[in-house]
Amino acid sequence: MARKILVIDDEPDMVTFLSTLLEDNGYEILTAVDGDEGLHKVKTERPDLVSLDLLMPNKTGIKMFRELRKDPDISNIPVVMVTGFATDDAPNMDFKKWINERSIRPPEAYIEKPVDTVNLLNEIKRILG
Amino acid sequence: MFKNAIHLVKRFTSSLSFKISFYAGLVMFLALLIFSYKTILSQESDSIKKTIKEAIKDSGIIKVAISNDMMTKEGERIREIVNAIGTSGEFNRINIYDRNGVLHYSTKQIAASKPADFSHDSLLHDLKSNPSVRQEISKDGSTVTVVNPILNSGNCSSASCHAHPESEKILGAVEMKIGLRNLRQEINKNSNRTIVFATALFLAISTMSGAAVLLFVNPSIKDLQEKASKMAKGEYVPSTPAPGKDEMAELTRAFDYMSLQINQRTRQLDASQRMYKALFDEAPCYLVVIDKNFRISRANGTFQAQFGDKTGQHCFVGYKGKSSCCNNCPVEKTFEDGDAHQSEEIWHINGQESHVIVKTSPIFDESGQLTEVLEMAVDVTLLKKLQFRIEQQRHEFQYLFENVPCYLTVVDHDFNIIRHNNFFVRDFGIAEGKKCFQVYKGLEEKCENCPVEKTFQNKEMNYSEEIWRRNGEDTYIIVHTAPVTDENGAITAVMEMSTNITEIKRLQGQLSILGETIAGMSHSIKNILSGLQGGVYVIDSGLTRGRDDRVKAGWDMVKHNVEKISDLVKGILYASKEREPDYKNYELGQLVTEVCDLFESRARDESVQLIRDFEHKIAPCLIDPVGLHSALSNLVSNAIYACRTAETEATHCVIVHARVYGEKIIIKVSDNGVGMSQEISENLFTKFYSTKGSKGTGLGLVITRKVITEHGGVISVESREGEGSTFTIELPFKRIIDVHKTEKANSLNFSYD
Repeated sequence: MARKILVIDDEPDMVTFLSTLLEDNGYEILTAVDGDEGLHKVKTERPDLVSLDLLMPNKTGIKMFRELRKDPDISNIPVVMVTGFATDDAPNMDFKKWINERSIRPPEAYIEKPVDTVNLLNEIKRILG
Repeated sequence: MFKNAIHLVKRFTSSLSFKISFYAGLVMFLALLIFSYKTILSQESDSIKKTIKEAIKDSGIIKVAISNDMMTKEGERIREIVNAIGTSGEFNRINIYDRNGVLHYSTKQIAASKPADFSHDSLLHDLKSNPSVRQEISKDGSTVTVVNPILNSGNCSSASCHAHPESEKILGAVEMKIGLRNLRQEINKNSNRTIVFATALFLAISTMSGAAVLLFVNPSIKDLQEKASKMAKGEYVPSTPAPGKDEMAELTRAFDYMSLQINQRTRQLDASQRMYKALFDEAPCYLVVIDKNFRISRANGTFQAQFGDKTGQHCFVGYKGKSSCCNNCPVEKTFEDGDAHQSEEIWHINGQESHVIVKTSPIFDESGQLTEVLEMAVDVTLLKKLQFRIEQQRHEFQYLFENVPCYLTVVDHDFNIIRHNNFFVRDFGIAEGKKCFQVYKGLEEKCENCPVEKTFQNKEMNYSEEIWRRNGEDTYIIVHTAPVTDENGAITAVMEMSTNITEIKRLQGQLSILGETIAGMSHSIKNILSGLQGGVYVIDSGLTRGRDDRVKAGWDMVKHNVEKISDLVKGILYASKEREPDYKNYELGQLVTEVCDLFESRARDESVQLIRDFEHKIAPCLIDPVGLHSALSNLVSNAIYACRTAETEATHCVIVHARVYGEKIIIKVSDNGVGMSQEISENLFTKFYSTKGSKGTGLGLVITRKVITEHGGVISVESREGEGSTFTIELPFKRIIDVHKTEKANSLNFSYD
């Protein structure tokens, strides 16, 4: 049975792109356009993996990620963080906070925009085993 | 020969031995003479007295002898007695007169019958009346006369012979004349003997003393003479101490000691004279002695080496190359007042102009007369040059100090300004004596972390960055302080250099904005690239799998993103270009209405109430409608977005307000959306800042501010996190003259959300 992946991004183009890419590679796709909808779908649909945009309206990706990790029901669902920020910038802004808050496990993978498709698929494969 | 003799005599008579012997002898001689003379005189007087005494005695005897004979008138007997007495002694003559002056008896004369005339005889003129015995020495001193009156005794008046009446007291007189020649001859003989003896004594003493002097004094004197002449030549060196115990030996020893001392002094004098001579000659300055006629009488080696021997020449000719006396000549002044003088002159030495300092001092001769002047000249050309260069450098530093484009002040321990430069005066005025913190910052007490104080403490350079509020604006200043020390290295003051770095700060801000802008734009471009990449993938996938819906979706993505990149580029170009507003006559109300119309449907979609707080017709004015439209659109768009992203459940609304207040157009866009933190609102107009994720470019407000600034207006924001924001635009109200020329703006077809 195909693995279920939830793509959360406020940019419709990004949703279309990621859905098409992951569908083509045999995954079942769910989508959401903001944090609220995303968190709701995580709880109801129980995806195997979440692809999360960092910057979004109505609960940014970071906020949603924290809530996801804090909720014991869903905290074990792996998350791939997708963002336009460069890797050198992102840790300064957010990883430090995550490290400080020890209760929160960092995202399982970190993918930069523009997305390297091969890298993304490899990471998802690695996470899902 | 004769001359030689005279010379010898003269020499002899002037010699000490002659003088001693001569005067010693002479003194003895005279003493003896005076003594003898006195003795002879008294002898003479005694002899005469004795003779007179004897004469009186003899006359008495005669009187007695003849008294009886008288009475008896035995004239012959009386004559015999008189003759006997008269021939026995020295008597020249014996006369017996009666009371009438008739000579009765005489040793020489025959008796007279007539009375003699005694009117001129000092002894016999009162023959009748003078009863006393009296005597007289003749004027030539050769005889002495004694008169002894014959008194009327009892016999005579009573006797019968030729009785004399009792009334006749004096009957006659015996006169005796005694010659003194023999006596005098004897005395003369004595005095002659005395003179001979005295002369002999004189010669003896003279010879003796002369011999003594010759024997004992002369050799020593000769010796001393020789020594003195040797000493005068500087040849005498006393060897063994002179023997003997007398005064001459003492004298010789004293002389030797004196000559030793003189030798020593002479040597010292010689040495010091040589030293002074060397000093004079080799002194590193020109030393010239000038006489009253301004002629050079002496000059030192240094002078001669430079100018040659100029002795005898006029000073002004000799080394100053002039034909007449110099003006303000210090030599002349010294001759006038006898004081030292000084002047600065320019000489030509080796064909080069040389600055010379001349000092003069008077030279007096033994009698205290000012006869010459010593002129000392020192070449100070090098010093002058150096002085000039120092002066020049001082001027340069002064110029730098005054005109360096930063505030330079020198402050003392009490923070009083003691010096400041022109640049300081330009902005702060004259402030010497005032406190630095007062002048710079208007404070009443010294600043915290004062770098001046630090420098006074650590003696090092210090600096601080400060913000001064001047004329209502913040000025960024960097203050450097450096110690000002005296010769001993002690800090006397501190120099404070304050540089206005406001412009640098502004550029720094702009640079960091530029960095952030580039980062922001890269982020936007990355988002667009992602979209393009996605579109390409979706088209690929559709083509591969024959799914037209995917091809269409992918193509839409590509078109959409190409549009986005086109807008971005346009926005960047707009923001980066310097441009003048394209002023047109336009109705303000119409412009604001157009913007509100544009966002009416979007606001509705987002459930945001768009409230128009303005008249449809406000005022026709001169504005750049295209620029202002985009600026306003940005504000309204942002306001709607702020409402949409707010997490509160309240009804959100955006109020657009526009009105003319006097000379100003005020446009306000308020919302009750998310609001902003202070940090964000402060940097809102400068940083390319977006909170809209991949949807924003960060350019919107930058462009808005640019448009407003170009219009000569200002834009400000008030915001509270969670409560909302109000953007206020203030524009100068530029009226148009002809209202009918108001044009309709072209519809604006790009936005910068």
